[in-house]
Amino acid sequence: MSGEEIVEATELKKDYGTVHAVRGINFHIRRQECFGFLGVNGAGKTTTMKMVYCRIGATSGKLRVVGLDAASHSAEIRRRLGVVTQANALDPELSVLENLLTYASFFDIPASRSRAKADGALALLNLSGRTGDRVRELSGGMQRRLVIAKALVTDPELLILDEPTTGLDPQARLLVWETLAALKRSGLTIVLTTHYMDEAARLCDRIAIMDEGRIFALGTPAELIAAYAAPDVLEVSGADGEALAAAAGSLLVRRERLGETDYLYTRDNGALLHALAVHGIELQRHVARPATLEDVFLNITGRELRD
Amino acid sequence: MNPLLAFLRPNAWRVFHRNLLAWKTFAWSSITINIIEPLVYFVAFGYGFGAYFSFGGQGSLLQYLGPGMLALTAVNAATFDAAWGGYERLTTNGVYESMVTAPVEPEEIAAGEYLWQAFRATLYGAIFLVVIAALGLVHSWLALLCLPVLALTGLLFAIPALYVAFIVKTPEHLFYYFALLVTPLVMFAGVFFPLDRLPRWTQYVAWATPLYHAVSACRALIAGTPSLSTLREVGWLALAIVLVVWLPQRVLRRRLSG
Ligand SMILES: Nc1ncnc2c1ncn2[C@@H]1O[C@H](COP(=O)(O)OP(=O)(O)O)[C@@H](O)[C@H]1O
Ligand SMILES: [Mg+2]
Repeated sequence: MSGEEIVEATELKKDYGTVHAVRGINFHIRRQECFGFLGVNGAGKTTTMKMVYCRIGATSGKLRVVGLDAASHSAEIRRRLGVVTQANALDPELSVLENLLTYASFFDIPASRSRAKADGALALLNLSGRTGDRVRELSGGMQRRLVIAKALVTDPELLILDEPTTGLDPQARLLVWETLAALKRSGLTIVLTTHYMDEAARLCDRIAIMDEGRIFALGTPAELIAAYAAPDVLEVSGADGEALAAAAGSLLVRRERLGETDYLYTRDNGALLHALAVHGIELQRHVARPATLEDVFLNITGRELRD
Repeated sequence: MNPLLAFLRPNAWRVFHRNLLAWKTFAWSSITINIIEPLVYFVAFGYGFGAYFSFGGQGSLLQYLGPGMLALTAVNAATFDAAWGGYERLTTNGVYESMVTAPVEPEEIAAGEYLWQAFRATLYGAIFLVVIAALGLVHSWLALLCLPVLALTGLLFAIPALYVAFIVKTPEHLFYYFALLVTPLVMFAGVFFPLDRLPRWTQYVAWATPLYHAVSACRALIAGTPSLSTLREVGWLALAIVLVVWLPQRVLRRRLSG
């Protein structure tokens, strides 16, 4: 086993016919970290995850997972992973408990041990009182938690979650986040994909920003903000961007325009506001705030992350 | 993975067990539907037509229909669940998708389905056999040997049904499979009427249909008069299975790895 790295991808590529879903990406995921792929729909996140959990083969490139070559050791790798797919991951014809026990049986876990493991996983996800329910009797949030319980019932080395909270209401999201944070604290390695900036910022130690099948930037949230967005942003709506830029002069690190809004990136909002006032520019609607991952995303890809 | 060896893998039996669990919750309604329907046909045809026609030297029409409906019951039990169930488990319900995130191979999933459909055919056939025995239409303990024949028959019908379920784009296409292929072949399998008075081509068609061989074997066993030709019928079923068994496994691997 290659020490620290639990996933190593080198020039990883996936074509679906003429669609280049993943166009040669490189990343390493370390043990015990939470690694996130952040990107809009169609960026190639799911395709990347599917290659990691050996659901599809790569078109080219190298991929090692838990120290094994994904091209030749698919079953051994799957045995050591916990997978939360984007959709359709529960068996609607089975009860909550049967879902877990059946899944565990495929990992050669004897029935005598899988019951205790299932109880543990259900307790962890706050589903203990639901063992006999059918899946369709559960709310969306509970189903998502059950999928996570199912992925944990086999004691995985690496937990993979493809959009763990998409479609959940805020309260259910919070519960999932708290669970993932607790799992991470307990030493589990986690890889997730998301198109929620706040989710990535909150859970992930390192983030890969994906767009159109490529990774454009990779690092800790703080590194990404430092590298791709000045610490401060001034959002100005309905103003003349050129005039703003002229007045800001060298205080302006970078300017992006999205619709009616200009994003002025600067080292210090106070100084920028002062300079604009000195040049006699009256700001109608504006927001002065620290830069976030959202700004990083906008600067790198030229598009908005929020839906 | 060798398609026949996949039967021996523990995962194939776990897939079987998953289907058993899912079936358990509605077992009674499933059994009722699968037995009542053929029984209604059986009684209606048997008593109804039987009052008008007689079979020279072959006993009553009811007597004739018994083994035919027995085999048909087994075939239906396997075919419908293979087609509709297989389609749902692959697509809408994502049952197979979930399995392949575990260390399960598509060949093992298909083998588990084969085992399950053979089991359904045997179980529903056994219940039907008890019913016709109660009606006094079974004349030999050799009739119990119908059960392994029904297992083979169910398996042989499940294979193409699963294959179709794994390749169709929409579930409506499954209707075509039943309307254009299954139903016509059932008509010329010697279930409802003997073929020896029909034009010769019908007998060639019959020979090519699996159900004909299943019905012939069951008829001989229930009458207590098996012969070398009964063994030949069973051999035909077994050989046909070996020839097509890999088909669903291959498409399923394609569907679950692309
Ligand atoms: N099975 C498939 N066949 C053809 N194209 C696909 C398939 N799966 C994904 N794609 C395409 O690949 C690209 C990346 O998709 P995906 O990995 O699902 O992105 P994301 O998960 O980031 O939304 C998209 O353009 C999508 O339409
Ligand atoms: Mg996706």
